[in-house]
Amino acid sequence: MMNLPDSASRRVKGAVRDGISPLQGVLRGGVRELRDIFRYVRGIGDLALENRALSEEIVYLRGEMRMARELERDNQMLRDLLGFVQRFPNKLVSCEVIGRDSTGWWQTVRLDKGAFAGVAEGRAVITTDGLIGRTVSVSDRTADVLLLSDPSCKVSVRLARSGTFGVVAGLGAKPGEQPACRLDYVLKTADVQEGDEVVTSGLGGLFPKGLLVGRVTKVEMDESGLYQTAWIDSAADLGELEYGFVAATEKDLAAARPESLVEDVLIDSETSSLEGESP
Amino acid sequence: MTLLMLLFWLIVGGTLQAAVPAWRHMGQPAFPVLLGVVLYAAVNKKTRYFVVAALLAGLVEDSLSLAPLGYSACAFLAAGGLALLLRGDFFADKAHTISWFGALCAATSTGAMALLLRSKGLVALSGGAVLWRMAGSAILAAAIVPLLFGLIRGLERRLGTWEDRA
Repeated sequence: MMNLPDSASRRVKGAVRDGISPLQGVLRGGVRELRDIFRYVRGIGDLALENRALSEEIVYLRGEMRMARELERDNQMLRDLLGFVQRFPNKLVSCEVIGRDSTGWWQTVRLDKGAFAGVAEGRAVITTDGLIGRTVSVSDRTADVLLLSDPSCKVSVRLARSGTFGVVAGLGAKPGEQPACRLDYVLKTADVQEGDEVVTSGLGGLFPKGLLVGRVTKVEMDESGLYQTAWIDSAADLGELEYGFVAATEKDLAAARPESLVEDVLIDSETSSLEGESP
Repeated sequence: MTLLMLLFWLIVGGTLQAAVPAWRHMGQPAFPVLLGVVLYAAVNKKTRYFVVAALLAGLVEDSLSLAPLGYSACAFLAAGGLALLLRGDFFADKAHTISWFGALCAATSTGAMALLLRSKGLVALSGGAVLWRMAGSAILAAAIVPLLFGLIRGLERRLGTWEDRA
């Protein structure tokens, strides 16, 4: 098994994962149903569906707001000579979280949609609160998301207030508290303050520019004295994820199965509306 | 335990392991359901059956994680090999001995997996973190493996496939 070619290994893993994913979906759905029943008993359960639809809209509206702030700053500095930079070049594919890494060695979650729905590897995944990670392993019907809290997940970011650049890396799960990230390689002269919003820089092209990553909670000078290190709390609660939105490109959606897309809720960045449509 | 029964437990185990979040304390070990199935096969079945169980369980576990195919199978074979060595002196019907046994094998499996992953640079864990995680997986296995043994054996007796140690 260890000597299998990468493509064969992916196919085998994808087949096993796709085979088990319906069970995971059923189990997750059952747990969610139970949770909804409890919520209903407590008087808020009947709002679950409406809440879900509103949450999806909030994702987009928050992105729009942040993009407007970014554009304002760019305009003031006259750096953006080419004009408008879109945050979400295409559409968001709405997915449910159906599982977590079964071994605990990595910080990942599994989404219930894969290549058939237009999800590809290396795409940003967000929630209503902000960026949660990127897709790392995609089968036909599932996709694994490497969370921000994983030490191997590194994101090029900048501070929304000052424009200072840095790299965010996960610190793994911390017992009894929300998984935390760290902002490394911030220039020692840079203006970093607690509470600063950290957003994706767009450098490297992996993550769209301007997605909220988290907020600075503590700032310290690096041991070498050359850089500052800032600890950040992720904007999204990475321990309680129920759904996510994958930022798909037109190419991803073109490769998807049309019948899968009809079932999906795609958020179109150009019309700012929620719609169920085929491409 | 027929092959069909083994597949059933592997699917159940894989689904449960992916559904239940890893224990955040003690190095974030996962709930060792698949390992429990492998240990059950190692203790109660013929060697070739245990090898098949370890390979299939490894396939399921690796498919549901970012680990390259075959790594978990190696770790399960290491843990199961220990079980094979010890099963002659092992009192399978006593819950507390199963508990100790599960803990020892889980720690072995976690250690073997850490060795493989670190050798390939797939995870960045210090030696202390690995030991901490081994202890965590041992505690989890001590609690879960006896339960799992009871469940599998109970189902086998109901289906009439139970036979004394082969």
